[in-house]
Amino acid sequence: MRDSRIETVKVKSLESGVRWILKRTFFVDFIKGLMVTLGYNLSKGVTLRYPDEEKWIPYRRFRGVHTLNRDLDGRELCVACELCVKACPTRCITVVPMEDSTGKGISDRVAGVWKVDLVRCLFCGYCEDACPTTAVRLGRGYERACFDLSSAVLDKEKLLLPEEVPPDLDGGVIVAASFERTGAGMKVNADFTKLKGDWLKMQG
Amino acid sequence: MDKMVTLKVNGKEVTVKEGTLILDAAKEAGYHIPTFCYQENLSGVGSCRICLVEIEGQKKLQPSCVTPVMPDMSVKTDSATVVAARASMLEFLLSNHALDCPVCDKGGECELQDMVYKFGPRKGRFGEEKVRHHEKDYILSPVIIKNSNRCVSCMRCVRVCNEIVGRAVIGAVGRGAHQEMTSFLRSRLDCDHDGMCIEVCPVGCFMRLPYRYTARTWDLKGAKTVCPYCATGCAMAIEERDGTVVRAIARLGEGWNDRLLCARGRFGYDVLNSAERIKTPLLKVRGSFKPVSWDKALDIVRDRFTKADPQKLGGVASARLTDEELYLFQKLMRSVLNCGNIDSTSRWDDRAAAAFISEAGINAGGVTLYDCMNADTVFVMGGTISDENPVTDYIIRCTSAGRFMNVIIASTRAMKLDSSALLSVRHTPGRLGPLINAVVLSLYGDSRERLKGVEGIAAVKDSSVDELSGACGVQAAAIKAIAGKLRAASSVSLLVGTDFLRLKDGLSGLGLLKRALGALGKELKILPFLDRTNQRGAWDMGVHPLFGPGYREVEAGLGCHGMLDRAAGDGMDALYVIGTDIVGLYPDRGFAEDALSKIRFIVVQDTFMTETAEMADLVLPAASFGEKAGHITNQEGRVQKISALLKPPGEAKTDLEIIASIGSSISPGSMEGDPDAVFEEIIKEVEIYASAASSGEAGWLAGEAAAPVCGVMVKKGGSLREAMHRKAVEAGVPAGEAGSKPAADPDYPYYLVTGNHLFHSGRLSRRSGILKGLLMDPAVEISGSLAEELGIADGDRVEVRGRGYGARFFARIRKGSPRDVVFIAENFCEASVNRFFRRGETVPRVNITVLK
Ligand code: SF4
Ligand code: SF4
Ligand code: SF4
Ligand code: SF4
Ligand code: SF4
Ligand code: FES
Repeated sequence: MRDSRIETVKVKSLESGVRWILKRTFFVDFIKGLMVTLGYNLSKGVTLRYPDEEKWIPYRRFRGVHTLNRDLDGRELCVACELCVKACPTRCITVVPMEDSTGKGISDRVAGVWKVDLVRCLFCGYCEDACPTTAVRLGRGYERACFDLSSAVLDKEKLLLPEEVPPDLDGGVIVAASFERTGAGMKVNADFTKLKGDWLKMQG
Repeated sequence: MDKMVTLKVNGKEVTVKEGTLILDAAKEAGYHIPTFCYQENLSGVGSCRICLVEIEGQKKLQPSCVTPVMPDMSVKTDSATVVAARASMLEFLLSNHALDCPVCDKGGECELQDMVYKFGPRKGRFGEEKVRHHEKDYILSPVIIKNSNRCVSCMRCVRVCNEIVGRAVIGAVGRGAHQEMTSFLRSRLDCDHDGMCIEVCPVGCFMRLPYRYTARTWDLKGAKTVCPYCATGCAMAIEERDGTVVRAIARLGEGWNDRLLCARGRFGYDVLNSAERIKTPLLKVRGSFKPVSWDKALDIVRDRFTKADPQKLGGVASARLTDEELYLFQKLMRSVLNCGNIDSTSRWDDRAAAAFISEAGINAGGVTLYDCMNADTVFVMGGTISDENPVTDYIIRCTSAGRFMNVIIASTRAMKLDSSALLSVRHTPGRLGPLINAVVLSLYGDSRERLKGVEGIAAVKDSSVDELSGACGVQAAAIKAIAGKLRAASSVSLLVGTDFLRLKDGLSGLGLLKRALGALGKELKILPFLDRTNQRGAWDMGVHPLFGPGYREVEAGLGCHGMLDRAAGDGMDALYVIGTDIVGLYPDRGFAEDALSKIRFIVVQDTFMTETAEMADLVLPAASFGEKAGHITNQEGRVQKISALLKPPGEAKTDLEIIASIGSSISPGSMEGDPDAVFEEIIKEVEIYASAASSGEAGWLAGEAAAPVCGVMVKKGGSLREAMHRKAVEAGVPAGEAGSKPAADPDYPYYLVTGNHLFHSGRLSRRSGILKGLLMDPAVEISGSLAEELGIADGDRVEVRGRGYGARFFARIRKGSPRDVVFIAENFCEASVNRFFRRGETVPRVNITVLK
């Protein structure tokens, strides 16, 4: 390879030969390259500084961790019909109904047990489609890394908690975040009030 | 020969009997017409109009479920008009339907859902407000919850309650869209709680309360089994979710009982979920039970059984075990332990049982209830069939309705079936014998020539009907009327119950009546109605001291009575009790306790800690129905297969495994605990079971001509008729049967009779929380007239006192029972009725005081 290049140089004119020597002497190409690096060093970065400084908030249509929802009066929407269980291709949802006439749910039939095993879930969203009351929805949570698989089974109590992402926050944005490592585990604390930009636009 | 009619269905010619419904004719031709309100066995109403068909030449569509065929009719079941009409009928039904499928317990197995899915219009045009009968579902009984907003007004619930159960406690209230099928003022039902209304309701109006909101049908795993609570032997499926049995159902077209179950069968399944089950072998050490290993337990059993003198050893196995278990049990006792002392019950005398088997022809093969119901006259006696065998009662009611036949009942207490009977008589308890004798005498009076040679006629021909009528407490006119009906019939069926066994009364009369009817040329069928699910199987398997498997003659041993006698005398070395509660049920509790306490070693093998188990030295945990496979022979001789759904709890094992391990530990290699292998052996050993086996084994045994739906009749066998008969005669006629009225007893003026309660069977069903919810506290049943006389209202507390015992009960009133008869079921441990009984005395006398 190198030999052939030298061959080519040989047939060039004297002028070009001198330029070639100067270039080599003053590291011109190298400096050009460094200039590009320098330019990127000085320009605004595209790397998401997740989890230490930033976090991406998915679109509303995102299919993340399940949520169980309530109606406007705060009653559980789930009537434990088990249709989501039936629809699920990986059989990762368990629902056991029970009766509760205290008005906790929209009907007297409520879920005594509602749990989903996220290790098996393929986030297809069939459960959401099957639900007659829009009780189960796939939410915007995606941080599921864990050391212990048992924490991948989420039960009704957890699923009924309001989602971390405020419902009025549109997706596709980046917010400020900080990474916390404690004895109890690791956590990304997002500050949804500090928008750091639209992800799509940032991609140019 | 029936007249036949030929018609065309969708162009296909088909010939059917005159009077056939178009629906059935179409089925015959191979076309299925959807139906809602139609149900076999129920009267037709034609209210839902789903089954509309087009008949050539008729402008309007006709409901095929109530329209009979006509000659040369041409019917279309799938024309465009029919399809459109079907869809609009569904749209109409949905216009006032709650459509809350996600909440409804019927969702997933709802006939309306299925129908709309298949034929529905997929849209509705009804824009008005729907009628809402109520906001919340309401409870109708401890087992029924109701939602009327989903009703499609098919009236199946009302009809089944009227026509089959015979209760008529629900009806249609209101009109049009406001019509609701419910009880009077939606009040709590006081009914059979059999849940037939639930089973037939096509939608989710009538629902099981215990099953409420526990599962969807697709969560359930089921197994076919046979109800353990009486010898009607209803086929059913039990279904579990996550190891808990959540319901028992009888499906249409499955089992000879089709959809029918009584409260015990439908709701008594939860004994399987009970936390009180025995889970490990328990050894009594210094008065209290300590868990031990199976090895240790079997060692002890082997040691005690082999050391025992075979004369002083005995075994009593419950007639709830399977055929296989019973067979192996008698084999263990007879061949391995050389001991002939075995029995299948503690409640009645083995000789009376032998006589009953002979007189009722049990050793001669089976007969179906449906065949019996084809007779001109059906004579039911010796038990309160409506309470003892509820589904037998349902079938008698619905098959006798609308047929030219007579049902005659003779019993000590009033019963629901009375309303279907042409004649019902109440006789003095323990005096069924004189009544039967009087009937025979009355027949004799008109046909002396034909009856004079009948064996045993001499014993009655010199008494008079009036005299016998005085003894049995039935008016002479009624006796003559019964005789008249029997004389006029060309075929007669006798349904005979366990009072013959309990009271040893009427056995020789039964034989006499049988022979007399035979001599008069009647076509005669006899069906026993028994209270333990496999009582007939137990006898067939030879669990009886006087005969072996297939009623073969064996060296006679002792029955339970005899064993207790021996124990009370010079003591017994060992007693093996399987699933029977001798202390709780032996008709003289004090004697039973005393005798058992003198037995040197008692091993009890049971599912629950019974009162007998408390007295045992060793308790072995056994599997229940639902946890084992095998065969059960019902009272008709129908051999049905049962299968296991669950694993036995803890270390419990099936009775078959336990018996086999005991056998093998005593005589290595002598026994196998595999039900199929044992059944093979039964077929070889018990000739009459060959036909039961030849009919295949997948699920239910395949049917034969004699059996209407499924199962198999045990055909012909008993080569020992003569010997059996001799034993019957030897069993003897108890004093008094010959004719006198029991002497009056002014201190204790009432007769106490016992038996099973409608909601209970033996002691087992008292472990069912659901059944206990139907009847919590011990009750005494008194007649309406006595209640009036003593000023007792339903539910009042009363004290019942006999010569040696008294207890408090709440009173239930049964209208129509004789004034001097009170009834206490044998099911209550809290107030064990056998404390009132004394050996040798058949019907105890009691008095009643009202507690204010
Ligand atoms: S998203 Fe799909 S796989 Fe996951 S629970 Fe729902 S249906 Fe099952
Ligand atoms: S989440 Fe929806 S589909 Fe699942 S059980 Fe509840 S109501 Fe039914
Ligand atoms: S449970 Fe039986 S008796 Fe009671 S209402 Fe229903 S069908 Fe009638
Ligand atoms: S309650 Fe059920 S069975 Fe009764 S009429 Fe209504 S839909 Fe039919
Ligand atoms: S108790 Fe008798 S009648 Fe009732 S369901 Fe069981 S077998 Fe049938
Ligand atoms: S099934 Fe014929 S009208 Fe209802």
